[in-house]
Amino acid sequence: MRSPFAYTPRPGPLQSASPGAAVVYLGSLVAVAFIYSNPIVLLAVGLAVVMAGRIAGAQRAVRAALWMGLTLALLIVAVNALVVDRGATVWVRLGEWPLFGQVDVTAEAIVAGAVLGLRAAVVMVAFAVYSACVDPDRVLRALRPIAGRSALTATLVSRLVPVAAADAARLRDAARLRGPGAAPVGKAPLARRLLAGSLDRAVDVAATLELRGYSLGVSSSATGATRFPPYRWTTRFTMGRARARSRYDRRFCVTGVAVLAAAIAGKALGADHFAEYPATEIGTGATTLVVSAIVALSGFAPLRRKPSNSPRALRWMRNTHKTEFSRGASHV
Amino acid sequence: MSELAAPPRPAPALAVEALTYAYPGAAPTLRDVSLTLSPGEFALLAGRSASGKSTLLRAACGLVPHFHGGEIAGRIEVAGIDAITSGPSKLAAVVGYVAQDPETQVVSTTVAAEIELPLEMRRDPPTSRARAVEEVALALAIPHLLDRAVDTLSGGELQRVALAAALVTRPRLVLLDEPTSQLDPVAGDELIWLLRRLNEEWGVTILLAEHRLERCLAAADRVIAMAAGSISFDGNPRDFLTWAQAADQALETPAAKLFSLCGIEPLPIGVRDARRTLASSSAADRGEVDPLRTACTFSSPTSRRQQSHSPPKKLREEGVRLPSTTALRARGLWVELTQREAPRDVLKGVDLDLHAGERIALMGRNGAGKSTLLRTAAGILGPARGKVDTPGGIALLTQNPSDYLVRERVGDELPGAEGLTALRVVGLEQKVDADPRDLSGGERQRLALAIALAGQTKGDELPGLVALDEPTRGMDRARKDDLVGLIEDLSRQGAGLLVATHDVEFAAAFAQRVVLLGDGVVIADGPAAEVLSGGWYFATEVARVLDLPGVITPKQGADAIRAEAGDG
Repeated sequence: MRSPFAYTPRPGPLQSASPGAAVVYLGSLVAVAFIYSNPIVLLAVGLAVVMAGRIAGAQRAVRAALWMGLTLALLIVAVNALVVDRGATVWVRLGEWPLFGQVDVTAEAIVAGAVLGLRAAVVMVAFAVYSACVDPDRVLRALRPIAGRSALTATLVSRLVPVAAADAARLRDAARLRGPGAAPVGKAPLARRLLAGSLDRAVDVAATLELRGYSLGVSSSATGATRFPPYRWTTRFTMGRARARSRYDRRFCVTGVAVLAAAIAGKALGADHFAEYPATEIGTGATTLVVSAIVALSGFAPLRRKPSNSPRALRWMRNTHKTEFSRGASHV
Repeated sequence: MSELAAPPRPAPALAVEALTYAYPGAAPTLRDVSLTLSPGEFALLAGRSASGKSTLLRAACGLVPHFHGGEIAGRIEVAGIDAITSGPSKLAAVVGYVAQDPETQVVSTTVAAEIELPLEMRRDPPTSRARAVEEVALALAIPHLLDRAVDTLSGGELQRVALAAALVTRPRLVLLDEPTSQLDPVAGDELIWLLRRLNEEWGVTILLAEHRLERCLAAADRVIAMAAGSISFDGNPRDFLTWAQAADQALETPAAKLFSLCGIEPLPIGVRDARRTLASSSAADRGEVDPLRTACTFSSPTSRRQQSHSPPKKLREEGVRLPSTTALRARGLWVELTQREAPRDVLKGVDLDLHAGERIALMGRNGAGKSTLLRTAAGILGPARGKVDTPGGIALLTQNPSDYLVRERVGDELPGAEGLTALRVVGLEQKVDADPRDLSGGERQRLALAIALAGQTKGDELPGLVALDEPTRGMDRARKDDLVGLIEDLSRQGAGLLVATHDVEFAAAFAQRVVLLGDGVVIADGPAAEVLSGGWYFATEVARVLDLPGVITPKQGADAIRAEAGDG
């Protein structure tokens, strides 16, 4: 079974966007999550990334990340509640604990922990959406001019990690299928076998890379290679398939910049008012609400624009065709 | 009057001269090999396992000696480039290589990126890369796959992607090492004819190593046979069949064997050729009667006998002691798996009974649900609905026997008396002290089966069901015959055999009954002779030649032809 975070090509706007545009969009939401501590804004960021993921078809990734993120958030809340004894509203006094000293669980520490956990969960969901919707090959290809070999290594890792996971699953199945009279297989021999298999695979991959021309230091024009001539049409066609821009790039870039600008402006105007101690204070002013609304609405950015065949347009087209047909008929 | 200068003759696609090669620390694998392939030729490389076919292909693409090391003597040139002094990367511009397992030769996450990689490596501009990817995707009919992730592709699709990556640089020579061994008959045939089309339309020179010669002999212009590292035959396909008849019958195709058993000449290189020969010989014998029509009117004694017998009854007649037990019972079996992010019903209400001592071939396209059925029977997967039961236990050998081998001594894998009994069942009791890695491919497979059987044997009794998943991948005919012998031995000892396979000739050799799965549903279930003679893809070569119900093996075909000749 594939990991829920594995990239899955889909025809959605987020998947077809260039990696740069997707990074600007999702990165702006992650940036807001780090800039702000106000839980209303953080909830808005969370809403935006969940919505973006669902619209982009990455429901499994969002669900898995939410599950992991909320588990982590609960852990943070528990640890913060036990470790931090600041706060005016003491809910429970747990007495003297070794290492911790006097442990008082305060409402403020729980809220502060919840805000930290919320931030962690939101960031995890954003990364999950990125991982499931942005083609790693395109990202790495964009990086190749800067660091070719490192980018290729990262490509291989992104390919070989799921392959190793599949190998491990196969070996586990084979271990389960051993007869009761065969020597049992512990984790160590299985791990050794997996390592040996991975090394074999690495050798195969190295051979494949050689065959694809990996160690070719220079352009191969001298070696008798046949090339397709490049297109000489318009600049619209001169980008390779994998580097072609998407018509949604502008939308994601504009949305990302707008979110970031609104967040920075809001921060300057006091939209991030939040105090944890000694008593919790959450700013609910107009600027906070406006920033939250802008951030939350940005979650709709991956929506696909429907083609302009509205009922009205269709009616018009039908009438036009009918007219032309009847004209033709009258000629006959 | 000006004289027109003759165009310069192009360099041979492949020129090998007195090539001898040994892997590090091993005896020579290639011995004094010499051959020349002209541009545009389609050559088939035949030979038993370990005859040197793969090594020759690896030498032609530069992996030998540059990647594997070893000692080499002689000369090998690809499109005029010296393969011994140039590495595989330099040769990549003129030669493409496709290996047996496509999984090992895919390095990117998406199909488009995988095909584009060789062009990126040689620093082609994005403009020409885009066009080359588009052209090769169209040529191989895979433009719909370009945006797919490689780990969501079927074996056939992945093999086409690997071929596309090999072809995208427009090489002069394409080398293929058993590319159809993991494909179902449909995908395998499609790949061979795709190669033929590329050869005819693009002029690509093709050197194809294959074991299932009946699948590709008709597409080839030339056959090169290897034995013990040397070239034992080099000529056209028809002469090859005549040579194989005398020199190595394991290389004969079923249709050729049928003709040689009947004494019909010339030996056929494919189904169409065989039908034509039969038609012309029959017309000559009996006037202008359509021989195939005539052939269809008589019924062979073999087919009548096979159709009327249920498999257990036939076994009893063969003198096999059959306990009247059921080895496998599946009722309304539904299995759901998550594929491509979405749950899918892989088995849809399968009903199946298999009795002790019965031998069933489970067939169907890649993804039809064969492996899923075996894994569910073994308890690896759970059914979504329905029930599967193996009252006498099950020993399942999955597609990759090496997965079972985790220790460095056979005796350590199978300790004690139970281990020794299991080794005796598969005939490996003499190999207790051997390292599994030193065993041959067939022995490793037997050892893996012994590991699955260990502890489930009671005296001479085996587990109720022995299941094998694609056991003939990459096997030559001699090893397949050994496996047929093992299957028959296990069946004789009372085990029910359920073998998932794509290999129709192998199924015809061992199976009493064939169950054909299509998209998770049993679409045919009957005697092997009936199921394997009633179709195009899931039919043996003899069945396709004669088109007679119940006639699937060369011997049955020869009997039928002799009977018809006798009647005539």
